[in-house]
Amino acid sequence: MTSASFQIDVPDTVLARARRGESAALEQIYRAFDRPSYTLALRMLGNADSARETVHDAMLHLLERIHQFRGDSPFWGWLRQIVVNQALMRLRRERGVSFEELPDDDDSPSNAPAPWAVADARHLEHALERLPALTRSVLWLFHVEEYTHQEIAAMTGKSVSFSKSQVLRGGIRLRALLEPNVFDQSMLENKQEAAPCLTGATR
Amino acid sequence: MSDRGDKMNTNPQGSLAAALRALPDATPQPDLWPDLANALASRRKPRMWHYAIPLALAAGLTFALLLPRGTLQRAQPQPAPHEITAMTAPNHASSEAATLAKKDELDNLYQRSQTLERWIAAVAARAPQDSRDLMAAVEVEDLIGLVDVQLGAAHDHNDALPLWRQRVALLEDLATIRGSAFAIAANDNEPSRAAATSLNSIN
Repeated sequence: MTSASFQIDVPDTVLARARRGESAALEQIYRAFDRPSYTLALRMLGNADSARETVHDAMLHLLERIHQFRGDSPFWGWLRQIVVNQALMRLRRERGVSFEELPDDDDSPSNAPAPWAVADARHLEHALERLPALTRSVLWLFHVEEYTHQEIAAMTGKSVSFSKSQVLRGGIRLRALLEPNVFDQSMLENKQEAAPCLTGATR
Repeated sequence: MSDRGDKMNTNPQGSLAAALRALPDATPQPDLWPDLANALASRRKPRMWHYAIPLALAAGLTFALLLPRGTLQRAQPQPAPHEITAMTAPNHASSEAATLAKKDELDNLYQRSQTLERWIAAVAARAPQDSRDLMAAVEVEDLIGLVDVQLGAAHDHNDALPLWRQRVALLEDLATIRGSAFAIAANDNEPSRAAATSLNSIN
């Protein structure tokens, strides 16, 4: 229930206490959102350290400004947007202003049954990690966080068609990566570091 | 959500969204809260700020009113570096003049930037904002962060000048967002001058 886990309503009383700067209330808000925030950052960035720093910065950003929150829209939506912005900014910083893109040769259509339906979580996480950062981010934002293509285009500074093509190609690439022979090969290649950032901190 | 018609549940990739959502949440390890609590505590303002801020704000607004805005020439498009050279050296004049002109403009931009930052910090501390404004502010702040990263890599005045122009323009956008909230807050308490004065003075 990853996607739903962000949609947590914070009681008004807790928000009121947090606005007054009560440490216990601030911690209560942090505890409510640390996992969805970290999961989102981790899926976008594919690196545990970067995800931790992103969540730290986003939470600090949010908690310092919480007294300005009026409550006319969901609190979780505000926090999630801050996490997404921070993660995208980190991707730009770490990988340059332009993002790497998938090559066009991934467009081969397939009618085979979707392999993710039978893949276990570890395999799917490993395949996800092997996607280019922006493709993985777009895929996650669209499928899990349910952002629209227009919203993703605005956030990434790309076009709507770019977002659509990343979702399509990302799905095709993921399918290819989850084919048994590809996965076995990649596991051999990455034997030493089998997706530590995606599997090590999950519970 | 109009572009979500091709959502995974209705196409051959149907179960990808469900498979991604079913992945386990991740937890930041070690716990981020102790660091966050320390950071928040160190940034928390002392109670005297409740009394000092109105005075600081008034001083800031006065300063902004007195700032010679003409020196920035921001109402007109800024000439490109080669145009500056052409204008300042009609009689084969020197690159020195052009360099001086750039340095002057940079000095003005630094000054304008500092003034805006102080004003924004003072207003942000006092005015509650709705979540839409907060999201917009966060996005602009992220863009400013990106410009700062690029400024860090700027080698000389030619590189830095357009970035500083961009930074000041973004700060002005941020001031507008913050200023509108301040204007509303000021109107709630004192329905006339404060808001208009604050916005006009900064713009």
